[in-house]
Amino acid sequence: MFERIMGMFDTVANEGHGSIALVFVIGILFGGIIQYSRVDKFEKIAGFAMLRDTVVPKMLFLAVGVASIGLYFMIEAGWAHYHIKPILLGGLIIGGVIFGVSMAIFGKCPGTGPVSIAEGRIDVLVGAIGGLLGGLVFTLFYEPVFKTIMGPDLGKSVLTGGAGDYGSVTILVFGIALVAVSMLIPLRQEFDEADLNRLG
Amino acid sequence: MIRRIPWWAGGLLMALLLLFTFSVFGADRPIGASTYVPYFAGLLFNLDPEQYGYLKQIDGAGAWEGVMLLGALFGGFVTSVFITKSFRFSVIPTAWKKYKNGSVLSRLAWSFASGFFMIIGARLAGGCTSGHFLSGMSQTAVSAMIFGGVVMATLLITGRLFYKKEAQDV
Repeated sequence: MFERIMGMFDTVANEGHGSIALVFVIGILFGGIIQYSRVDKFEKIAGFAMLRDTVVPKMLFLAVGVASIGLYFMIEAGWAHYHIKPILLGGLIIGGVIFGVSMAIFGKCPGTGPVSIAEGRIDVLVGAIGGLLGGLVFTLFYEPVFKTIMGPDLGKSVLTGGAGDYGSVTILVFGIALVAVSMLIPLRQEFDEADLNRLG
Repeated sequence: MIRRIPWWAGGLLMALLLLFTFSVFGADRPIGASTYVPYFAGLLFNLDPEQYGYLKQIDGAGAWEGVMLLGALFGGFVTSVFITKSFRFSVIPTAWKKYKNGSVLSRLAWSFASGFFMIIGARLAGGCTSGHFLSGMSQTAVSAMIFGGVVMATLLITGRLFYKKEAQDV
């Protein structure tokens, strides 16, 4: 296993998507932002599922709105590229349903889970062990089962695909609309023990 | 030191990190998080990538996200210990006690099962909250919109059906 872990670092070093140190720093910032804004908390994610907390959708919509506009201009300037995921209808719909149900019950997602473990959440650690077994099952049965469910590749479409010269206008409208949505969603917050102690 | 940042500051910082990661000065790729799980399962159970086509397919993305995850664990730990001061060992989240039950066994069993299915769902969809919502939607990818709509709907329906309407005393 040690060799395989070293292989992971070799792969990253040779892949050309940033040095090992840079990728690690991106991870630190990712974990830090999530922890500092507390969106890794069960109260925030399951709270959103119950519509008792709106911090997650507000932050998500704002981040996507700003990033979509920024990204468009970075691509125009040659500073970035699109990396679009293909439309696999069966996978997106069936996978989305399974993912949505699990996210509401677990109160985590694959990105926020590790950040929760890092603040001492034992239940999330147990969930992560379940996740590793889920990853194992997916790998073992990918060819016969899961690949069939995912269905044919319907291409890598983007919203601006048919907009032609109006690409920049489409992006601006899309980005501004998301930012507006993020501001219009009323702020609701579900507190946990840490907050109550602080209030008391 | 301020122990938490508001949603708008978190959103702006996340957008900047996303843009930096996408840029040729950064990693020239999107942020993703769920591919590292089957990748680590492959390492842990010593599965041969030659034998399992899926492992071969995710070798690059899994390794990248694996290193990023180690960073996220470190960043989350340092921030929770020194900045948010929220580090403490706990088993049942406050809101679970309030809206579900106070049983340790119940929380752990549901965590395990939902963790298991969450990864299967994410891998079926080819991405998760990070890959589809953050990175995909920012590129206005149609695949991300479909995933986003389905997840939002099932998340809210599950939230309504799975938890109690009224809060219990904690």
